Amino acid sequence: MEIKKLSYYINQEKIIKSKNYGKKIRIAFLGSFTLNGFEETIQVQCNQEKINCITYNAPYNQFNEEILNENSDLYKFKPDIIFLLIDDRTILDKLFYFPYEYSEEDRRKFAEEKYYELENLIKIITEKIQSKLVITNFVIPTYSPFGIFESKMEFGLKDIILHINKKLKELSKNQDSVYLYDFNSFVTKHGERNVLEYKKMFLGDIKISFDIIPYLIYEFVGYLKPILGLNKKCIVLDLDNTLWGGIVGEDGIEGIKLGPDPAGRPFIEFQKVIKSLLKSGIILAINSKNNSKDAMKVIKEHPHMILKEDDFACLKINWNDKIANMRDISNELNIGSDSMVFFDDDPVNRELIKISMPEIKTIDLPKDPSSYALILRGLNDFNVLKITDDDFKRAKMYRQEYDRHVFESTTKNLEEYLKKLDIKVKIRLADKFSIPRISQLSLKTNQFNLTTKRYQEEEIKKFVKDDKMIVGCAEVEDKFGESGITNMFIIKKNNEEWILDTFLLSCRIIGRGIEEGILSKIIEIGKKEGIKKIKAQFIPTEKNKPAENFLSDFGFQKEEEDWVFLLQNSIKIPTHLSVKFE
Amino acid sequence: MSEEKLFEIIARVFNISIEQINDQSNSETIDSWDSFTVYILLDEIELAYNVSITTEESFEIKKVNDIKNILKEKRVNFA
Repeated sequence: MEIKKLSYYINQEKIIKSKNYGKKIRIAFLGSFTLNGFEETIQVQCNQEKINCITYNAPYNQFNEEILNENSDLYKFKPDIIFLLIDDRTILDKLFYFPYEYSEEDRRKFAEEKYYELENLIKIITEKIQSKLVITNFVIPTYSPFGIFESKMEFGLKDIILHINKKLKELSKNQDSVYLYDFNSFVTKHGERNVLEYKKMFLGDIKISFDIIPYLIYEFVGYLKPILGLNKKCIVLDLDNTLWGGIVGEDGIEGIKLGPDPAGRPFIEFQKVIKSLLKSGIILAINSKNNSKDAMKVIKEHPHMILKEDDFACLKINWNDKIANMRDISNELNIGSDSMVFFDDDPVNRELIKISMPEIKTIDLPKDPSSYALILRGLNDFNVLKITDDDFKRAKMYRQEYDRHVFESTTKNLEEYLKKLDIKVKIRLADKFSIPRISQLSLKTNQFNLTTKRYQEEEIKKFVKDDKMIVGCAEVEDKFGESGITNMFIIKKNNEEWILDTFLLSCRIIGRGIEEGILSKIIEIGKKEGIKKIKAQFIPTEKNKPAENFLSDFGFQKEEEDWVFLLQNSIKIPTHLSVKFE
Repeated sequence: MSEEKLFEIIARVFNISIEQINDQSNSETIDSWDSFTVYILLDEIELAYNVSITTEESFEIKKVNDIKNILKEKRVNFA
């Protein structure tokens, strides 16, 4: 996204007419200095990302009062997320100017006290307001009255800030709903002299200059995307002049630019950044108009290719049009095209995708490849709130999925294919190891999801403790490998009736009878416990069409708003897979 | 430098039409004129005219004409 000047956002905010995007979030800003302009900017940026947001900016420098007073407007606002910004001058107070008027011991004591004040505020936010919190860390001072001698001081001015930052990091590591935003790095990136203009500070306690505010808001929107399940999961790449310089069909494998020389380094750097995202759970695919033989030779044999064949979950290298390829990638990987980011050096191809598939985030690459890596690094679309073991395995699992597809196309019919897959499903009750993944599935799964209810980790934890509820999940494995936890369900017990509050399946395993297998096992267990009927609902959304006929096909009967299954009926159990409850 | 250029900047920052602006325009006649938006305006003017407006000068600004006067002192010519 192009970042504009602050005045642009302030004006735009007045004229935007947001549609109902179905993604809503309540955002509060609290700060120790003037945060004017924040609300307008996030409103406009959210609108560009198809997020409906309602914002609240606490009165100037009233963050303590707003958090401590349970009758404050902040409490009434009921935020989903709070951004808390406290600056160095506020936290350090006199020590900002006169750190060495105090003994080392007093400086240490001071740092501890300040941290505990913050910890107390954070605790109140998580416990009483029950909002997610993003707190900015403190900027390591670039000036010391001791000048060059600062580095020789025991627990000096910089150490005070480093200490508080470190403690805040510890706290955010252990608190799921608290995130520490590295504002110090933000200031490093943009430069302290650009961020803090003294004139503005004296005029209106404005401590982040106008043209920098939109960049900070962009970073903040990076938190909203994963909360709302809008983060991207897949990078689709062109080859010629994108992953390497030149055109392999013309220049040959020896002629393309890829290697430790000035022309080749930008592509090496770009590939390395892509690889680092792959390692954090992002899926890679190729969409390239090329001779498959030429291109595959480079991918398999070029000594400087950082990305290897196995790193790509799907390779579409052919002369088909790019739109058809994009649809194929989406189908084969079972990833919605709205979860994709597309990199292509050719503006014509980009325009084609932008027009026909606007839900894909198409990146405008400049002519000069030296900034490719920088552009990729600057995107705020790949953030996740939690990294689970499954994320590390994901790329591998999608690659297996690709192999399954190839296997399927060589097998005679679906039945035979499914049998040969040798699917094993293990159902388990939620425990502390699976809770993060269970919540992640509820937040991210759009397609095979009966009710699309979104539950944060804290809510899942509450359900697990509730003896009137059952939270479970299923792990799936077949001859190609493990798919990890790819199903979760929540049951509300109501005497002799079970209500299926949530039942979903990760889209990459739909269509193999796994959903029937799991549900029939749940029903079998219910039967043993003396349950007479199971009630379920299908709440239609724009995306959950794949789950639309599941209940009726399974044998549920429509009763007003609900779908009901009576346990006296026989259960249809798929025979091609094994389902176990552990 | 023409008056029009200045008025264009003012119109853009305050999100009003250029016809609504004259030398006497102030916070009474322009709804979106407040202490914060004036700082944004000064920012944009500094950039457009390549001048620096001091803190003290910014205190004198009560109406559009005050901005003109400050710029005139900095040898900006409103022909």
